[in-house]
Amino acid sequence: MTNSALPGAAKRFRNGLLDDNPIYRQLLGMCPTLAVTATLAGAVTMAGATAFVMIMASAVVALLRNQLKGHLRILVFTLTIATFVTIIDRVLQAYVFEMSLRLGSYIPLIIVNCIIICRCEVCASQQSVGVAISDAVGQSVGFLIGLISIAVIREILATGMIFESVRVMPEWWPNWAVMQGPAGAFITLGLLMGLVNWMSMRKK
Amino acid sequence: MGVVTDILFIALATAVINNLVLINFVGICPFLGVSRRIDTAFGMGCAVTFVITIAGSATWIISHFALVPGSALVNAINSIAAGSVKDLLFLQYIIFIFVIAGMVQLVEMYVRKFAPALYKALGVFLPLITTNCAILFACLTIAKSPELTDNFLFALVYSFFGGIGFTLAIVLMAGIREELETADIPEPLKGPGITLITAGLMALAFMGFKGMAG
Repeated sequence: MTNSALPGAAKRFRNGLLDDNPIYRQLLGMCPTLAVTATLAGAVTMAGATAFVMIMASAVVALLRNQLKGHLRILVFTLTIATFVTIIDRVLQAYVFEMSLRLGSYIPLIIVNCIIICRCEVCASQQSVGVAISDAVGQSVGFLIGLISIAVIREILATGMIFESVRVMPEWWPNWAVMQGPAGAFITLGLLMGLVNWMSMRKK
Repeated sequence: MGVVTDILFIALATAVINNLVLINFVGICPFLGVSRRIDTAFGMGCAVTFVITIAGSATWIISHFALVPGSALVNAINSIAAGSVKDLLFLQYIIFIFVIAGMVQLVEMYVRKFAPALYKALGVFLPLITTNCAILFACLTIAKSPELTDNFLFALVYSFFGGIGFTLAIVLMAGIREELETADIPEPLKGPGITLITAGLMALAFMGFKGMAG
């Protein structure tokens, strides 16, 4: 049941990167975006975990798409996602325990990350597995770009270092501790969003 | 300390000091999406408070009797199948999200029947409470922190005041945004940009409560 009006795999992938960027364009998945971007390492781990869940869930939903009917489909999406989140949570606990402690509740909160449900609804429940996976990969990379852009600014301003070890700012840099906290997260994202809007306005 | 002091302590700590939205970053989507007008924001806050309280209690009961080590269901499985199951915590996420989705469905039916105006105003955000991270976050926090896991009353107080804290944040935000409508904001920052910066300033103010109760 391929619908010719829907974008193909390559287009879906490209859209995820910039035009439909989950963070800056669709404003989805705000909670992890703000919560885990205090350090770059946390942001990358989070993006990886989200990517795994999104790709697997999109593939499963695309395989099931002809069986999904009516309002029960959201429930199926959620339970599929919850299963994969349980898997990645156990994997993180087994192999990168410290990081898993630091991300804490935000790993299980991937279940309620709107990006994944939105992609299942918009793309995976209507198109073939190949397109769904390519869409999920595109959105994951877009999400990664968004997270990195915020985390780099916050970590450098808060500690003067990147990846907690490489010093970027000069020694005399006063660490802006507030950037590590909630206030810094909100303000950085707000300003970055303004910047993205300004750049896209100038292009027109 | 007496029980009443404990309860007041948990209530204050949850609603203000560890505010779900402004300190823990959960429930951001409705916080940005439904904070345009005070009355809608208040309706959303009430709906979330209701769901969070019910879901928090329900998941506490389920974990207590079925999931944690030594609970009734785990013991039953061990005695019937003569196995050595330690706990069923690997089912935690799936069961929690299932309970929350069911609760939201109930609230949606109730609001549609008894408050049609509110139902219309909340629109798509009502079913989206299922994917409101605040609720799952509260349930997981209850399951994780020992003082809440041991005492049902504390868990109830925690989830209710978590919802109150959410309502507080979203209503304050709506009040500020109503004033912002007449302000002269630079074009690129209009919409989500200025809302996030406002939220940042609010978070800064809420940081002032930190350390207030140890």
